[in-house]
Amino acid sequence: MAFFSLLRRVYLTIYNWVVFFGWAQVLFLALSTLKESGHQHVYRAVERPLQLAQTAAVLEIFHGLVGLVRSPITATLPQIGSRLYVTWGILWSFPEVQTHVLVSSLVISWSITEIIRYSFFGVKELLGFAPAWLLWLRYSTFMLLYPTGITSEVGLIYVALPYIKESAKYCLRMPNKWNFSFDYFYAALLVLAFYVPGSPHMYQYMLGQRKRALSKSKRE
Amino acid sequence: MNPVLCNFDCICLWILQATVVDLQEAIHRRTKKYYPARQRLTLPLQPGSKERPVVLNYKKSVKDYCDGNSGNLTVVFKDLGPQVSYRILFFWEYLGPLLIYPIFYFFPVYQYFGYKGERLIHPVQTYALYYWCFHYFKRIMETFFVHRFSHATSPLSNVFRNCAYYWTFGSYIAYYVNHPLYTPVSDLQMKIGFGFGLVCQVANFYCHILLRNLRSPDGNGGYQIPHGFLFNIVTCANYTTEIYQWVGFNIATQTVAGYVFLVVAAAIMTNWALAKHRRLRKVTCFSLFLNKLFPILLHTLKEACASYTINRGFNSGFLSDSSLYQIHFLGCFSIYVSS
Repeated sequence: MAFFSLLRRVYLTIYNWVVFFGWAQVLFLALSTLKESGHQHVYRAVERPLQLAQTAAVLEIFHGLVGLVRSPITATLPQIGSRLYVTWGILWSFPEVQTHVLVSSLVISWSITEIIRYSFFGVKELLGFAPAWLLWLRYSTFMLLYPTGITSEVGLIYVALPYIKESAKYCLRMPNKWNFSFDYFYAALLVLAFYVPGSPHMYQYMLGQRKRALSKSKRE
Repeated sequence: MNPVLCNFDCICLWILQATVVDLQEAIHRRTKKYYPARQRLTLPLQPGSKERPVVLNYKKSVKDYCDGNSGNLTVVFKDLGPQVSYRILFFWEYLGPLLIYPIFYFFPVYQYFGYKGERLIHPVQTYALYYWCFHYFKRIMETFFVHRFSHATSPLSNVFRNCAYYWTFGSYIAYYVNHPLYTPVSDLQMKIGFGFGLVCQVANFYCHILLRNLRSPDGNGGYQIPHGFLFNIVTCANYTTEIYQWVGFNIATQTVAGYVFLVVAAAIMTNWALAKHRRLRKVTCFSLFLNKLFPILLHTLKEACASYTINRGFNSGFLSDSSLYQIHFLGCFSIYVSS
C-alpha cells in the first residue's frame, strides 16, 4: 500500500514537472518571438510545445477518474475541453487565424497560469507542501488570467467563424443512412453560447477554491 | 435558503394536540409566502451527526415527535422555494414535444435552413408523427387521469430544466425525422419498429394502472412493492417498457438524434430505478421477490405477461444494485445468470 502511494507521488511529481517545462518553453518562445518578430509569428514559434503541453492535460481526466488526484472531474472537463477545442479545433484547423494578435494574449495567459499551476502541484507532490507565496499565486493570478484567457479564446473562435463556414471542414451532410448531419459552424456557435454561463461558473468556482485554500492556510 | 429554528413552546399546549398539518398551517398564517408545500420541517440533528434528518410526516401528530413529556419541541424549518404541482410540471414538459414535432412535419420550416423546393413525405414520416404525438398525448392523459403522486409538488426551477430537456430533444429529433433529405428504412423494419413500440406503450400503460392501484386517491400508500405483470421481473417495469418503446421508435425511424435521446433517457430512468429499488428495500423487511431469473426468463413473453405472483423471497444480502441494473435494462429478453 505504501509502495503504491510512493509510486503515485513519483509519477505525479514527474508528470507535473515535465508539463511545467513544456509551458515554460511556450512562454519563453512566445515572449522572445514577440520581441524579435511580432505577434504574427508567435503561433509558428510555439505550435509544437503548445500542442504537446496542452494535449498532455488529457491525462488529468484519467487521473481524476482513477482517483489519483482529488480534483472533481466536473471542474476539469470543461476547462480541458475548451482548451483542446481552441488548440486543435480552431488554431490548428484554421491557419488563417494563426497570425491574429489574440494568439499572443491567449498563449501568454495560458502559459503563465499553467506554469504556476504545475509548479504548485509539482512542489506539493515532491515536498509534501507548497510555500505560501506559491499557494497565493495559484489562487490569485486566475483573477486576471481567466478573463484575459477566456476573452482570447472567445475572440479567436469568433475570428475563425467566417473561415469555418466557408471551408465546410468537419461537416457531415445529409442524405445518409443514419439521418445524421453535423455542421461545424453551428457547433462553434453552440460552443460560444456555452461560454456565457460557463465562464462565470468557472470563475465562481475558482473564487470558492481561493477562499477555502487561503483560509485553510491561515488556520494552519 | 437558510434553515431557521422555530421554537413553538409558547403555544405548546395547543400544539401537542395538533397534527403536523396544523403546524404547517400555523407557519403559513404567520408568513404568507411559506405555503405548506414549500416547507420542509425536520427534527434538529446533533452537530456532527452524519445521519439524514427526520422529516416530519404531515399525517402524524406533533406529540409523536416530542421525546418524553417535555413541553416543547424544536423544529428545523427549510424553505424549499416556489413549488409547482407535478401535474402542471408534466403537462408543460409534454406539451412541447406534442406541439413542436408537428410544426416540423406540417410547416415549411426547412426553407429557413436553406432547403428550398418541394418536400417529399415518406409514409414512415407520417406514421412517426402519429406515433410520437400519440405517445405524448398518452403521457398527458396519464398525468391527469392515471398517476397518483407521492409528493404533490416539485421546485419551480425544475419546470425550466425539464422543459429544456424535452423541448430541445423533441426539436432535435423532429428536425431529422421530417427532413427533406430523410432516408427511410425498409418497410419491414419500419413495421417491426412501430409494432414493437406500440406493444410496449400498451404494456407501459398497464404498468401505470398497476402502480396507480397501489395508492389511494389522496396519494396515501407511500412506497409499496408493485406486483404482477412485468413487475414480477423488474422493479420499475414502467421504465423498462418506456425505454423499449423508444427502441421501437428508433428502429422504425433510424436517426442518430433519436438514439442519442434513447441513451440519455435510459440513463436517467436507470438512475431513478436504482433509487426506487433502494427505497423499496429499506421500507420492506424482505427484499423484492426477484426470483432466480433462469426459470422466469426461459418462459415466453406471453407467459411472463400473465399476472401470477411469485412468492419466493430472498434476503436482501442476495440482491445487489447491480443485479437490478441488468434486469431493468435488459427486461425479460436476456439470459441472466444469478447465484
